[in-house]
Amino acid sequence: MSKVKALVVDDSKIMRSAVKRALDQLMIADFEYIEAMDGQDALEKFDEGGIEIMFVDWNMPKMTGVEFSQEIRKKEGMQHIPIIMVTAEKSMGKVDKALNEGGANEYITKPFTADKMSSTISRYFDDEGKVKTGGEEDGEEKKSFFKSILKS
Amino acid sequence: MMAMIAEKLNGAKSIPNEINDVVKQSVINTFESISGTAPDCIDMNGENEPLNGIIGNIAVFNTEHTLSLMLAIPKDTALNLSEIFIGMQIPFESDDMGDLVGEVSNILAGEVAANIEKIGFRGQSSLPTATRGSDLTLFMPNKPPTTKMKFSGPNGEFWLNMALSESK
Repeated sequence: MSKVKALVVDDSKIMRSAVKRALDQLMIADFEYIEAMDGQDALEKFDEGGIEIMFVDWNMPKMTGVEFSQEIRKKEGMQHIPIIMVTAEKSMGKVDKALNEGGANEYITKPFTADKMSSTISRYFDDEGKVKTGGEEDGEEKKSFFKSILKS
Repeated sequence: MMAMIAEKLNGAKSIPNEINDVVKQSVINTFESISGTAPDCIDMNGENEPLNGIIGNIAVFNTEHTLSLMLAIPKDTALNLSEIFIGMQIPFESDDMGDLVGEVSNILAGEVAANIEKIGFRGQSSLPTATRGSDLTLFMPNKPPTTKMKFSGPNGEFWLNMALSESK
């Protein structure tokens, strides 16, 4: 199984560890983790190349997770790389902002369990543990799903 | 509703009961989601002893008002929380402990912000800070409206101090 390069962005070292531990428990892929402490740090790490999936906190100093996601989506060919927001922000307005303005694919609220992580991200991996790419339809489908929740 | 709560907060001598109730429930929800068991809000019995532990500080604020939340956690409770949160006890004196309590405060503020919005206070969370020490006593300069609650759960006791002020 080839390694999946995952960028874990959170100003809390404890939370970065929690995300990595949950992902390791899933055994859906063999991850190589790159860690960043804020959005600005994450942009620099992302630009070093090879990142296939990202787990991003919202509230961070210097650059928030939503601002970081917006920067990623502006980059050529980066419209479909999976961005999973992992955050304590849980109001519907925030979910809407992350998915629609930030361009995130998924939204996980803290604290989370490995099961919650699994049900949210397993669709982004194939049976060989590789990240599925080119998911524009999936992304739109997911956003429609969240929009329906927000309206109800 | 939005205008009503804003009016109540302007010049309030005490924190409105609606806000106290929402914050109390948010604390219960937060610790239940972390540990799997809901803590009980228990009688303070007038106690006001200094804390040997760690305080997580965070605010939920908008342009008009700031709700400061101070989560006071005794050392033993903090150690138990670390075991639940990351699967092992982390040293009380470590930076990781401050990180952990900051993150718990962050989760609490997210819950408070989501729930308080439902009664008309739309705000956002600040970044958390944590203060560790012994014989810690919380002072409230200018005597803002405050509420203090005590909780007890399987991981130990802890307190939530809340202060309301105008945003400046």
